Amino acid sequence: MSNGRKAVADGLLRGLPAPFRLHVGRVKLNSYARPVNQRRRSLTHVHGSSTISVAGYPSSPTRVSAETSFVYWVLQIIVWSAYCLMHISGEVFFAMMPWSKAVTVWGAVGAAHVSCTHLLRGLAKRHNWLMLAPAALLTRVIVGVLLISLACYLVTIASSVAVYGSPVTPVMDALYRMLPPRTRLVDQFFSSLILNVLWVAIYFGLAMQRHRYRAELRQVQLHEAWQAAELRLLKSQLNPHFLFNALNSVRALIADEPGRAQEAVTQLARTLRYALASGDEDLVTLTRELEMVNDYLAIESLRLADRLEVVREIEPAASTMRIPIMLVQMLVENAIKHGIAALKRGGTLRIHARLAGSELIIQIVNPRPTGEIAEARTDGVGLKNSSERLRLLFGPAAKLHLDLSVSGLATAEIRIPT
Amino acid sequence: MKTLIVDDEPLARRELRRLLGAFPWVQIAGEAGDVDEARLQIETLSPAVVFLDVQMPGGTGFDLLSQLDRPPRVVFTTAYDHYAVKAFDVSALDYLLKPIEPERLAAALAKMRANMRASVLAGPAISTDPPLEQLFVRDGPRCWFVPLREVSVFSAEGNYVRLHWGKERPMLGRSLTVLEEKLDGRRFFRANRRQIVNLELIQTVELGEGGRLYVQLREGPEIEISRRQARLFRARMTV
Repeated sequence: MSNGRKAVADGLLRGLPAPFRLHVGRVKLNSYARPVNQRRRSLTHVHGSSTISVAGYPSSPTRVSAETSFVYWVLQIIVWSAYCLMHISGEVFFAMMPWSKAVTVWGAVGAAHVSCTHLLRGLAKRHNWLMLAPAALLTRVIVGVLLISLACYLVTIASSVAVYGSPVTPVMDALYRMLPPRTRLVDQFFSSLILNVLWVAIYFGLAMQRHRYRAELRQVQLHEAWQAAELRLLKSQLNPHFLFNALNSVRALIADEPGRAQEAVTQLARTLRYALASGDEDLVTLTRELEMVNDYLAIESLRLADRLEVVREIEPAASTMRIPIMLVQMLVENAIKHGIAALKRGGTLRIHARLAGSELIIQIVNPRPTGEIAEARTDGVGLKNSSERLRLLFGPAAKLHLDLSVSGLATAEIRIPT
Repeated sequence: MKTLIVDDEPLARRELRRLLGAFPWVQIAGEAGDVDEARLQIETLSPAVVFLDVQMPGGTGFDLLSQLDRPPRVVFTTAYDHYAVKAFDVSALDYLLKPIEPERLAAALAKMRANMRASVLAGPAISTDPPLEQLFVRDGPRCWFVPLREVSVFSAEGNYVRLHWGKERPMLGRSLTVLEEKLDGRRFFRANRRQIVNLELIQTVELGEGGRLYVQLREGPEIEISRRQARLFRARMTV
């Protein structure tokens, strides 16, 4: 995408969050259109009742995270209290230990598991492990799970020594009676490890699933936003209001004045071709832009009849200068729409272009209704985009200014350094 | 059927005139190019139907309608106006998109004709100056032709009037006194300084203190009839 176009697109996409804007230049609409639609369908199908809405973006992240953290804590408590209860009951019924001791030891172990896994989750979240490549993620998860298992193991040994005076808990002794005591100690490690591995596998499995879903969702939203922007851009280039009015004029001419109708169709075709070509070009000579403006004005004067008069004063030296495509056209369109067409008696549209010093100065002057409030004008976005485009193409010295300070008159001025 | 064409573009008027030529029962009484001219033409010619462009210099077609005391039947025409089309759709108004398709025009005219027949059959014999039957009302993006017999209460709010019409509460940019002069005196009654009620929509009447009356309106609020007006009210209702 060329600079000028990109500037316009950037302007249109200004409202989007930063990550969305970054990719705009690189997105190819056609190649994505189908998969996006398909993906969207499958997403809506699977997550039809999810709180994350596809169309209403941005989705509410606070609500989603509040819900997931609730689910997380419920599962965390259920899993680890089941684990502890199992060992406590084992210790009481198989190893004939008192409840109080069993609860103390396994309570401590359970707490260690909860905090270790929670710590690992916090670490993964803070450093965005889900964004990592699979190998890097796997390495971190494996190291992490080994470390937390070791920690839990040490807590088990410590609490067992403190309560029972032996590093191997009585329940392990009872269950693995056939193994030698040293192996029982190692086994105790594995019992902790296996549970942590299971926990981590489930947790990261679910988290990755959700991460991928969210990424796809964002992709869909990005494309929707981009498509909407592209459509707006296209619409502004083709100007449907002008197009349908022109067609209506032509339809009226066909019966009575076929010659004028033919001429109008040719002019309309040239206008459209130029507007469509503006997608590929950045700069054109003033002469070429004015040719198009003339076609446009010819069609508008069919519609406005004697209400529109045009005066052109173009210095020959200025006419070979290069200007951003569709820039004068846009200003002339605004002059007609908000000025001449809004006046009962119409008026004179003046287009001046001259070289002064090291600047090309183009002025479009038109009468306008006196009561009009400048803020109410709908061309503000177009003007802002055009200013931005000028600045990107010619630097900060290039300016576009719409002067509405004189009542009943609008003067648009373009200054481009030569 | 007396018809007026309102459009600021001469070519668009010419085209519509040509299209309407296919319907011999449509008589084009005149053309207008802006809102003021159109208002004048409507007042002098009193056309049965107006083809009304939305965007015109000096005001939109909607502006024109809200200025009229007796808005005629209207078919809006527009080339491309996203907002206007939205307004038409939410308000169930008739509209045609330019360039106008002959089939659509035929359908719009047929509908218009059927409506007119129905109202002629239902309505009373035409007097010299028939009382107001409908009002064009705008409320934000929505607009309506409000049939007055369905309005239960007109309440003054400053210099404006709020209509109680079914579930809708649109505002009218006119004062209650000005409106009262145009309303059908047989149907509408000034209940107090701030309200006019529709007698045909009164459900119950209750006696209040000091000769006041309270009337409950169908689909509407309870309205107090002031002491002075209550005497008039009694006189009228006990004929």
